[in-house]
Amino acid sequence: MKIFFIILIYFFSLNFEAKLKIEIIKGSEELPDIAIVPFKSSFGRQFEYDVRDLINEKLTLFGEFDSLELERMLSFPFNEESFYRRDWELLSMDYVVFGEVDETEGNLVLNYFVADIGLKRIILRGDITGEKNNIELITKKISDRVYESITGLKGIFNTKLAYILNPEPNKYSICVSDIDGDNEEILFSSNSPLMSPDWSSDGNKLAYVSFEKGFAEIYIQNLLTGIRETIPTLGMSKSAPVWSPDSKNLAFVISMSGNPDIYNYNLKNKKISRLTSHYGIDTEPAWSPDGKKLLFTSNRSGSPQIFEIKISNKRIKRVTLDGSYNARARFFPDGKNIVFVHGNNGIFHIATRNLKDRFVNIVTQTTLDESPTISPNGHIVIYSTKKENQGYLAGITIDRKSKFQLPVKKGSVREPSWSPFLN
Amino acid sequence: MKFLKTLPIIFLIFLISCSTQVSDSISQTNYKEVEGINFDEKDKIDTSLEDKVFFDFDKSTLNNDTKKILSQYVTESEKAKIIRLEGHCDERGTREYNLALGEKRAIEVKNYLIIQGVSSSKIKIISYGEEKPISFGSTESDWKQNRRVEIALF
Repeated sequence: MKIFFIILIYFFSLNFEAKLKIEIIKGSEELPDIAIVPFKSSFGRQFEYDVRDLINEKLTLFGEFDSLELERMLSFPFNEESFYRRDWELLSMDYVVFGEVDETEGNLVLNYFVADIGLKRIILRGDITGEKNNIELITKKISDRVYESITGLKGIFNTKLAYILNPEPNKYSICVSDIDGDNEEILFSSNSPLMSPDWSSDGNKLAYVSFEKGFAEIYIQNLLTGIRETIPTLGMSKSAPVWSPDSKNLAFVISMSGNPDIYNYNLKNKKISRLTSHYGIDTEPAWSPDGKKLLFTSNRSGSPQIFEIKISNKRIKRVTLDGSYNARARFFPDGKNIVFVHGNNGIFHIATRNLKDRFVNIVTQTTLDESPTISPNGHIVIYSTKKENQGYLAGITIDRKSKFQLPVKKGSVREPSWSPFLN
Repeated sequence: MKFLKTLPIIFLIFLISCSTQVSDSISQTNYKEVEGINFDEKDKIDTSLEDKVFFDFDKSTLNNDTKKILSQYVTESEKAKIIRLEGHCDERGTREYNLALGEKRAIEVKNYLIIQGVSSSKIKIISYGEEKPISFGSTESDWKQNRRVEIALF
């Protein structure tokens, strides 16, 4: 009987989890070749392979490298003395990651190296100490460093993703998981729609929209305590919350009798100030990385287009010019490029654009793409799309060398929001 | 005199400050609250009228068929305490924009009913954007059914 119950609970919990795992659809032929060597250790062969596999899993997560199979390795270096460059030149490797694990006072000490075969030198020497049961985090940090030494971009292996899970009609959950799909957590569930999760830049809070009271209301949920608070306004429809880069303000939308406009909520003094006032639809605000401007979607010119407002003088400028539908923009961390939803003839793709020129760069091929979110290093975009009545997440590296998807077993997943860098 | 002018503002500030820092837990009931008014789905008044009117993509304008249907609600709504208008969109385009568009659709219906003589204080509107489709596919015939305002009398 007990076993029956355990099985029941297991199935029940399976039903309401998404467990997103990244599947690479297409990797470019010109990916850098990398060899990740088992880490020499006194804990035995299995552990040496485990550490290697954990790092390998992360570095190849988004399909950005071709990783050499263990069987093809000619030698297993663990320090600079045991590293022979010619072994890797023969295998046409671009980079080799190797190292060793020691134990001191109950802690693991990992020394690791990255060799650039083309440059003929060691480009990274690192060491990291931590508890053995923290090996997951340790290998995330190593992978971040290795990734940065090779690409020049900060690694994103220790980041998370928030998303809306809709396992069946009239069931909605806000979930958070590690970027590799592990440790999925449900923050809040409801029988009414949940929308628009947005991660505060300090990583501690999530803002989202819930219809639990019968109208659109913004909730700010503390991720450590679970405490939820609302924005103090009088029972009006509120939506599209986005955190300012310093996490001190929340831009959002209040709609009074069908006229949505952009407002700002100062979390410190609880003051609400109005930013736009137009009889058309103004929604989907997005902060510039310097916190001085907001992008937003407005149909003031007839169809939905992206506009920009300067906070200091409220001056408004139209940003998108081409296409009948341009909406829900987000800034890249450089503040110069944006990602948005670009629609033409009823087909909706994710597109990017440099604000200095007019060229619209369409980066997806599916036709119902929306809600793009950018990795904190600005290199990867994850978005929602749909196939056979099922919503799922997909992603692309902005150099377009890799495309991937995060399939879901049951129901729909949508509205991804990438966390900032976490410690 | 000046004091009298600032009185409503002071009252407003008082109201706002009363509702600061709400942290709440949630219990699910079958009540729906729109702008502070509770609905029990069981109290819905049955009418023989069409309870949905439909729209073109990215539009909130009412066509002649819709206006005909809405006109029939004028006498029917006399026995109702509340007229609930729920705006919806199809899945195309962005979610937050669609939330606003659904509201525009509900407002258009509301304004038309008011012109026809329905008391505006009875009408409550809500938008669900593209969050509550009635047809789950991705063809024009699915989308057509989802671009709607649902009318319910209580």
